[in-house]
Amino acid sequence: MNIGIGGAGGKLASLASNGDCTIVNVSELELTKIEASNKILAVTHSARGQLRGSGKNPAIGMEAFVSISEELKSLIKGNIIFSSTGGGTGNGITSVLLENIATLEEQVILEDRTVFAFILPYLNRESSEYVENTIEFLGGPVSSVIDSCNTGNIVLFSNKLKFEGRIAEKNYNQMIVDSFNSFLSIPVKGEMYKLLDGHIDFEDFDLFKSKPYFNHFTQFTWDTERPFEEQLKANFNSLLLTPERPIEVMFLVELPDESITPKFYDILDYFATDDIAPVYGVVHNPELSQPQITVSMLYSRKPRELVEDFKNVSDKYTRNRIKKSLEQHVVLQGHKLDKMNEARRMVEESGTNSGDVLGFLKRIGKL
Amino acid sequence: MNELFEKQITNLKEAHFHILYWAALAEGKGKGYNITNIFDDLKFIGATRTKQSAVSFVESLAALCFIGINGDSNRKNIYITKHGAKALEFLIAKGSYQIKKSMFLEVAK
Repeated sequence: MNIGIGGAGGKLASLASNGDCTIVNVSELELTKIEASNKILAVTHSARGQLRGSGKNPAIGMEAFVSISEELKSLIKGNIIFSSTGGGTGNGITSVLLENIATLEEQVILEDRTVFAFILPYLNRESSEYVENTIEFLGGPVSSVIDSCNTGNIVLFSNKLKFEGRIAEKNYNQMIVDSFNSFLSIPVKGEMYKLLDGHIDFEDFDLFKSKPYFNHFTQFTWDTERPFEEQLKANFNSLLLTPERPIEVMFLVELPDESITPKFYDILDYFATDDIAPVYGVVHNPELSQPQITVSMLYSRKPRELVEDFKNVSDKYTRNRIKKSLEQHVVLQGHKLDKMNEARRMVEESGTNSGDVLGFLKRIGKL
Repeated sequence: MNELFEKQITNLKEAHFHILYWAALAEGKGKGYNITNIFDDLKFIGATRTKQSAVSFVESLAALCFIGINGDSNRKNIYITKHGAKALEFLIAKGSYQIKKSMFLEVAK
C-alpha cells in the first residue's frame, strides 16, 4: 500500500493507488480533502498546526511524529512513501522516520525496505523556506539513511518541469504517477507478455528496488538503428533529477516484432562499457507499433553534492536579502567619531562580564 | 570605522549577537560549537523556535564574514573571525543587547 505524508505526499499516494492508500497529516481538514482508505491524524500541540497544517515549519511535523510513530513504522514495511521535502508535515514527519530507520540496531531485511519518492522544490521559483528545509532534509536524514543501508530505492522528483512547463499541479501529479507506474509495471509486463530474452520476475524487481540507491527511471520509444547512448541521454526523465553514472541497471524492452530481438545486445554492450551487467527482459508486445524501452538506473550521488546545489541558490537568496536590508537602512547624519576606539574605551570602562570573552579574543589576535 | 561595516553591524539582531558571543565563548573554553548547539541555545533564550531560522542567522553571519564554518560533516563547527570579533566588541560596547547565557556552554553540565 502506498503511503503519503503531508499535503503533496498525500495527493500523490492517493492518485497513484486510486485512493487505496494511507495518508498522514497533522491537520484534520487536510485529511478530509484527499481520498484515502486509511487516514492517520498526527497530533500536534500547536493549534496552528491542527487547523492549518504545519505550513513550512518542519518542527511541527517532527513533534507530531511521536503520536504516530509505532503505527507508521509498522505500515511502511515493503511499501512506497511519497513526501515533499520542502513543506512542514512531509519534511518533518519523514525526517524523524528516516532517522529512526537509520538508527535501527538490526539491518532491515530486503522485503521490508521502504521505497521513498521525494518531491523536491524548484530552486528558482519556490520560497527560500522550502529550499532551506530541503537542504536540512537531504544533508541530514537522507544522508543518514543512505549510509545505514536500511532503505530501498530513493526517487528524487523535481518540480522544475512543472514551473518551466507551466503545468497545473493536478496534471503534473498525474505525470509523476504515470512515470512511476511505468517503472513499477516492469515485472507485470515481464509476466504478461511473451518472453523473448532475459527475465525479470517480481522477485528480481523487489530485490532491485530494495537497494539503497537513488533510482532514475525513464521510458521511451527505442530506435534500434541509432546509438543507444545518444537516445538514453536525450530521454532522461525530466520529472526526475538527472542521474550520475549508474551502479546497477534494469531494463525491459518491448518489441512489436520478434525478428529484431537480437538488437537488444546493443544495449547490453553500452552498459558493459561501464562494467554493468543489467537485469533485463525482452518481451513481445503486439500492441505497440515501435519498440519501447523502460530503463531504471541506480546511482549513488552523495547527498552532500545535492545539498551543495541547493546551498548555492540559498546563498544567493541570503546575499540578496542582506543587500536589500542594507539598501533600506537609513543612516542619520551625526558627528564623526572613531567608533572602534570609542567602543574599546567603553568596554574598558563598563567592566561587563563580557570582558573575559573580549580579553580572550585579544589574546588570540582577533582583536 | 568603515561605513559599510558599521551598517552591517547595525543590522545585526539579538540572535546574531548571541551567536557571535557564544562562538567566541566556546573558542575560549576550547569547545566545538555547531548549528545544533546554536539552535538549542537560541530556543533556550526564546530568540527562535525553528531550526531554519537558526540556519538563516548563521548563514547571514557567514555571508558577512563574521563567522567561519569548519569541517564538512553534519556537525560543522563555527568560529568567530576577526571581523566578527570587531562587530562583537562594538555591540557589547554599545550595550545593544543584554548578554544571555548559553545552555550548552554555561548552563547544562
